[in-house]
Amino acid sequence: MAKFIIIGERIHCISKSMREAMAKRDPEPILKLAKAQIDAGAAYIDVNIGPAEKDGEDLMKWAVQLIQSNFDNVPLCLDTANRKAIEAGISVYNRAKGKPIVNSADAGDRIENIDLAAANEAICIALCSKAGIPADNDERMQYCQEMLERGLMQGMEAEDLWFDPLFLVIKGMQDKQVEVLEAIKLFSEMGLNSTGGLSNVSNGMPKDIRHIVNNAMLAMSIQCGLTSAIVNPCEPGIKETVRSCDIIKNETLYADSFLEI
Amino acid sequence: MPFKKPVQKYSASINTVELGTGDKKIAIGGESVLPFYTFDGEIANAPKVGIEISDLGMAEELPGLRAYYDGAESVADIAKKAASMEGVDFVCLKFAGADPNGENKPVEDCVAVAKEVAEAIDLPLVIEGCKNAEKDAALFEKVADALQGKNVLFLSAKEENYKAVGAAVGLAYGQKVGGESSVDINLAKQLNVLVTQLGVSSQNIVMNLGTAAAGYGFEYVVSTMDRVKAAALAQNDAMLQMPIIAPIASDCWGVKEAVVSEEEVPEWGPVDERGICMEITTAVSCLASGANAVILKHPESVKTVSRLIKELI
Repeated sequence: MAKFIIIGERIHCISKSMREAMAKRDPEPILKLAKAQIDAGAAYIDVNIGPAEKDGEDLMKWAVQLIQSNFDNVPLCLDTANRKAIEAGISVYNRAKGKPIVNSADAGDRIENIDLAAANEAICIALCSKAGIPADNDERMQYCQEMLERGLMQGMEAEDLWFDPLFLVIKGMQDKQVEVLEAIKLFSEMGLNSTGGLSNVSNGMPKDIRHIVNNAMLAMSIQCGLTSAIVNPCEPGIKETVRSCDIIKNETLYADSFLEI
Repeated sequence: MPFKKPVQKYSASINTVELGTGDKKIAIGGESVLPFYTFDGEIANAPKVGIEISDLGMAEELPGLRAYYDGAESVADIAKKAASMEGVDFVCLKFAGADPNGENKPVEDCVAVAKEVAEAIDLPLVIEGCKNAEKDAALFEKVADALQGKNVLFLSAKEENYKAVGAAVGLAYGQKVGGESSVDINLAKQLNVLVTQLGVSSQNIVMNLGTAAAGYGFEYVVSTMDRVKAAALAQNDAMLQMPIIAPIASDCWGVKEAVVSEEEVPEWGPVDERGICMEITTAVSCLASGANAVILKHPESVKTVSRLIKELI
């Protein structure tokens, strides 16, 4: 039981401005987005440098040091398919405010990222999928078990594996949403931490309604026991939803100004 | 199987707040464990005991208490004597005479008394108002100005006057601000948020969560203190990590057990002893629930409570 953790997702190479800033090693745009997310309540900042096959190690080191040195060692989530880049990032990472998160392992090709996290005393996001979307929760929980065992065998604490149920897009997979919520409940009943790319649920919806759906999914997921989410905290309502849920779940004591602190 | 003692130590801690200056300055708070849980971790600053005196002198007090201050004429004399009693860590000067519904003494007179008292003693000083929000705000501003550099704690900023008190006491004159929230845990946190938002450092705030004499709704006081400490330590709530002060003297000496004469209720025994018992019982209960400082009136209770603390920590 702890306060809900927002992982800010905006430093992502899918955005043109971020891609350019990373390529040119231009600090300004990255620091601006990091600040906006921290101000909006992000406890962790995700740093997605994409596949970064060429200069991933150097880029991740640069990004980690840049963000941590400017924001009081804010903890980071290192997000890339390049494992060497994650290790390079961890090598310069300051743990004063929290362990680094490896984003991410799955039960398939990327299962070795659990080993990487274990070797580096990091948290690991464990995506409950092998190849594609799991057919049902039996399959999800089988992957969950596989990854949990792998982590424990490597000496990890169970709390350092954050299980991702794989949030699915409503437009196309509307009938699967309740199942995702039930998966979160299953993680929670096992006492496990969880996270995920929650805004995926509203993918393809008109921009002006995405945040409404995201906020609803967030609140419902938190009630099911979700302990963290990778979201855009600057989106309207996200911070307010999370803070209100923390109050309702008695994770923090109420005060009239609770949204301001 | 050998017994392994579980340790309950938190990564969060209560803020350390210093009061007074020089050799006699004191620090309250700083611990990362529950009250008196020295087996879980160090408590660097043992709870402190203050003695309360009034700007009205001793005239209204019970004869038993008056006897301790024989020969002390002025408030400054009384303060000097109070400071010399066994176990006293700080002196609390209460401006009961400022009350608009009582003597309504002008602010300037109170400032003069505060200055005399501050001159007379070298122990840290706590200033308590008359509980009238408007008068206290005016009074605290002038006294805080007059006592600049003395690192004085003012009791208290309330919901009605926190802006004026926080701005004057905490910001303009760099003194310590007490936030008072009559046994309302959400208000306790809210006041800390508001005073902090004014710009007062959270390291300069002390909480008065509201008090009661033991037996008079005291369980609310205890559960409030418990919940505050739990939030501060277990939930790392920065807006509840301020140390707690419990000015319990007026509560304890206002209940019937402490004031009804022996002639009226012979089976209760001597009146002075009853008040002392009430004060000790209440103080110890507050300390066990997390108070980092208590303010008492009777030298006997001050001595007893202070000895108890020294025995335990």
